[in-house]
Amino acid sequence: MLLFVIAIALMGQGPDSTGRATVGRADSLKSRALNEVVVTATRTERPMGALPMPVTVIGREQIRQMGALRLNDVLQEQTGLAIVTDHGQGLQVQGFGPDYTLILIDGEPLVGRTAGTLELNRLAVGNIKQIEIVKGPSSSLYGSEALAGVVNIITETPTRTRASVSARYGANRTSDLTGDVGLRFGKIGLYAFGNRYGSAGYDLTPETTGRTVSPFLNHTLSGRLTADFTDKLKLSVSGRYFSERQDNLLEISPGRAVAGLGRVTDRNMNPVLTYRLSEAWKVTYRYYSTLYRTQTNLTYIDNRQPYDQSYFRQTFDRPEVQVDHYLNQKHMLTLGAGFMAESVEATRYTERQRFTNKYAFFQYEWLPTSRWNLILGGRYDAHSQYATQFSPKVSARYELNQTFALRGSAGVGFKAPDFRQLYLNFDNSVVGYSVFGTHELAASLERLRRQGQLAEVLTDPAAFGNIRAESSVAVNLGVAADLGRQYNLPITASLNLFRNDIRDLIETQAVALKTNGQSVFSYINLNRVFTQGAELDGSYRLPVGTGRLTIGGGYQYLVAKDKAVVEQLRQGKIFRRDRIDGPPETLLTARVKANEYGGLYNRSRHMANLKLFYEQPRRGISASVRGIYRGRYGFADRNANVILDADNEYVNGYMLWNVAVSKTLKAFTLQAGIDNLAGHTDPQYIPNLPGRLWYASLRWTLLPNTKGS
Amino acid sequence: MQPVKIAFLTTLTLLSVFGCNQEEPTSVAPVKATTIRNLAADPAQINPQTGQPVGATNKFTLFSLKDGVTVANSDSATNKWDIGFRATTLIINGGSIRSGRGGAFIHTGTFDELKTIPAGTTFATDESPAQLAIPTGSGKGWYNYANTLITPIPGRVLLIRTGDGNYAKVEILSYYKDAPATPTATSEGRYYTFRYVYQPDGSQNLN
Repeated sequence: MLLFVIAIALMGQGPDSTGRATVGRADSLKSRALNEVVVTATRTERPMGALPMPVTVIGREQIRQMGALRLNDVLQEQTGLAIVTDHGQGLQVQGFGPDYTLILIDGEPLVGRTAGTLELNRLAVGNIKQIEIVKGPSSSLYGSEALAGVVNIITETPTRTRASVSARYGANRTSDLTGDVGLRFGKIGLYAFGNRYGSAGYDLTPETTGRTVSPFLNHTLSGRLTADFTDKLKLSVSGRYFSERQDNLLEISPGRAVAGLGRVTDRNMNPVLTYRLSEAWKVTYRYYSTLYRTQTNLTYIDNRQPYDQSYFRQTFDRPEVQVDHYLNQKHMLTLGAGFMAESVEATRYTERQRFTNKYAFFQYEWLPTSRWNLILGGRYDAHSQYATQFSPKVSARYELNQTFALRGSAGVGFKAPDFRQLYLNFDNSVVGYSVFGTHELAASLERLRRQGQLAEVLTDPAAFGNIRAESSVAVNLGVAADLGRQYNLPITASLNLFRNDIRDLIETQAVALKTNGQSVFSYINLNRVFTQGAELDGSYRLPVGTGRLTIGGGYQYLVAKDKAVVEQLRQGKIFRRDRIDGPPETLLTARVKANEYGGLYNRSRHMANLKLFYEQPRRGISASVRGIYRGRYGFADRNANVILDADNEYVNGYMLWNVAVSKTLKAFTLQAGIDNLAGHTDPQYIPNLPGRLWYASLRWTLLPNTKGS
Repeated sequence: MQPVKIAFLTTLTLLSVFGCNQEEPTSVAPVKATTIRNLAADPAQINPQTGQPVGATNKFTLFSLKDGVTVANSDSATNKWDIGFRATTLIINGGSIRSGRGGAFIHTGTFDELKTIPAGTTFATDESPAQLAIPTGSGKGWYNYANTLITPIPGRVLLIRTGDGNYAKVEILSYYKDAPATPTATSEGRYYTFRYVYQPDGSQNLN
């Protein structure tokens, strides 16, 4: 706890904070929350309360109290966020799928997505100082993929000498061993973190061969070296290494199973040099290099024939420079430019493919009076493979009075076509279909024709040639209330209304038929969709006995629809074939009414959470109960019209209750908890949800030369 | 974003749907709907190793709407048949590669609501194997293809001009043997279940 406050204080000290005085009592949640320093929203350090866009910050203490191990554990409990499963566990923000949110570590993007999903389970949380979540398009600062928002993981900095070790064991033979050490020798700081995480997996469908989640084991090593050469010149070098192996065994058709090893490796290196020329000028040089690699080797169990032997290797390198200029605390200008080089090499690609991207961004922040905060920004991306993008964003915050503040932002976001959409060259040898990226399509169709595999071309391949980036225009409007200053009530609440209009969504479409009756698919800009909704979040902190209880709650209402479907429904042109309601042999057709359309699949109209955190620092006790509700959401079409319009096309809504208690005694903290207390499972539709999971952990912390915390 | 495939309609279809012609004489005796079950359309076994169909003849099953029976392939150059089935491909006995007077139009609406051929309907014909009156491909003609399953698009009625110049409406109900309520990857494909109304008197009345 003490450490946390120190870290915050250190972060907030520079002249680049807006200079607002820390308000309120030191122990109150609201003052802490509002003064938490956030870097993600503006790429400069800002107190969270002053920002004109919706931002969530989750601190180290809260992550610990939740008993979270991996990033998905933390994010699934946050208002407005859902964890969705599609080739891994990804993040849904404001109704956008996982490929539309950028996941950053210390401001640098993680790479390695499978079918667009970045597996959040890859990220251990033991080395995280805080997680910052910015909702709404942030392409004006971060470029591609920051369409729905940005999640930035801020890792520990070696501010002092300390160490900790923790061990945890729980259901499904899940074990976690974490250790970290921070060393400080004058101007040099060193932080090192290690984690070993393994599980026997679990099986929700014992009748089939193999487990729902196969056994896996992974290791994470990360660290940071900091050197403060002078007050003005500082260097930080951080690195991370992640490696996972999974023993797969899965049934691919009745009676046939495949088995083998899957490996994932991920490493990155990030030196950052900060030079503060004067109070008014600061220059930051960053270099980021990362590699993501997977290897899969699956063979049929019965005849040992190969089923899938593939690899994937992606690299990403980026030098960047950023200049911050401060003018008497009222004007702040940020300018940046960089160059990005990306490559991918994989079994399913013809050859090693490369991208380059040159970009520049600016941001001007103006505080004309103490009530107003205006931010204007934009980014220009010149990419080697698709058209140039310009992404502007404007946001403003106005303090109505001591209690209420209004905030609003409007911006443009984009997502570039990814490697898969441009270069995939994949013939599925088991089922027989083919998928080609737009740049591969012409040559691949020609190859199929030469081989006599092409039966018929359905769509002119030229239509697929000029694939564009997907783009969105978004508006966020909100009001934030803090009843602390005026009424001395420890209550904060915020409401945010959002609307995103997305165009040129890239979809797969059949281009040709093969002689085996299967299709050839490629990617094309097709649909226009919108997502809109409201997010409400609040917290109330009250003393209970000698401790304090924080009650938090959140709710999101979401509507996400395809505009073409809405139009067709309006014209009465969408029908369904009733297989379930009527006798099956009739297979009668009925017209779908506009109000029966449930929107895009996998989006819950209602999501909510209720969280109770109790702390009694004197006795070293903390406890939490968190309830997370995910309302029903569409899974798949069952009446042949492709859209979500019938009750049996939904997955039932469900509630998860997670509890944890911990007791600290001197340097030791014992924690025990149960996730998914009610043991809710849905093997068919939610395979990533294991049943009830218990765990217990012991943590030892060494904090020399302090009074303890 | 979860891909949501939409069957986009041609502008032509959009324009012609509302023009239900109510002025047809009502004195004509109503014609009855007939359902045909499990019409084999060149069935084949799919080799799970290669994905290739095995045992197919590559021939169309020709069907006479007037008589409600199949017509021998030796009669393919006559106007005795109206519609032919081979896997997902449907052919019509009309056009430069056929000998009949047939044609087809894909109407959007329900089978029961469609009482007559809407005004302004233009019948397409089979001009070449790549240019058929009923287009092939997912979302383009009568079916959607997703998750290895062929499903007839609900609300698609095939307006047919028969080989001998009469009119009919056809709705494909299932592509799988015994028209299972929920076909699976193991359902036997290439077996059509469809219902139709044939008007023998040469009028465009389909009720």
